[in-house]
Amino acid sequence: MTEEQRLAARLQERALALFRRSLHIRTFDSGSCAVCESEIRLLSSPYYDLHRLGFFFTPAPRHADLLLVSGPAVRAAEPALLKTLEAIPEPRIVVAVGACALGTIFTEDELVHGSVDAVIPVDVYIPGCPPSPLALLHGLLVAVGRLEEKVQSLRFDLREELPA
Amino acid sequence: MFWFLRGIRRGVVTTRYPSRAEPAAAQLPTPPAFRAERLSVELVERLAAACPAGALRRDGPDLVLDLAGCTACGRCRDVGGEAVAASGEFELATRERAALVKRIPIGGGR
Repeated sequence: MTEEQRLAARLQERALALFRRSLHIRTFDSGSCAVCESEIRLLSSPYYDLHRLGFFFTPAPRHADLLLVSGPAVRAAEPALLKTLEAIPEPRIVVAVGACALGTIFTEDELVHGSVDAVIPVDVYIPGCPPSPLALLHGLLVAVGRLEEKVQSLRFDLREELPA
Repeated sequence: MFWFLRGIRRGVVTTRYPSRAEPAAAQLPTPPAFRAERLSVELVERLAAACPAGALRRDGPDLVLDLAGCTACGRCRDVGGEAVAASGEFELATRERAALVKRIPIGGGR
């Protein structure tokens, strides 16, 4: 590991430590069907209550630490998406939410980019159509390093459960 | 009236995630998991054709499941019968896009 990479890793660690207790979220809809938004809005309901974990929504990107992007990155939304990202001060986290934002649902054509990471760098991917509020909470906690990601170890192969 | 004393005594102000086994989680639609021995090339082709999101495809000896595209619609479970079941996994967030692509060996790798 070079000196530069080591410093970058340390800076990343410092930034995540700052985000761990209080983090402000700006959401961005890049052309989604609004079901992801509906699930995101449910996060602030008393049942899921994301405020207890130190997450807050803010309408102002300049106050935000994390950009939560849903939708397949429609080309018409690209200038707004880039401006929003630019307005969020560094260090910042970008989270792509939902199947559209992760790609494969829409293919790239003259209307859509097809995935968010074709336009801006994405730090954490939350799959699901829509991802449930629980999945979103898990994703946010993974994004700030408070939970380990689970999916790396899952195989989606039920072999061991079969009788011998 | 002295409800706050309970919190002070327990030393817990707010609950963690998840504070207890989540009752709503059992109701969630989740991506499929496969019984690899029961998969055949022919079945995998049918599964891939049935997947409306294009999340299932065959790649040589493997069935490839792209969790990013899976909408948990359950159509592969209708087609696959015994070979396919709901995985029950919904906490799928990851930093690596590639970690969402799962390869299941058709026929259990034999």
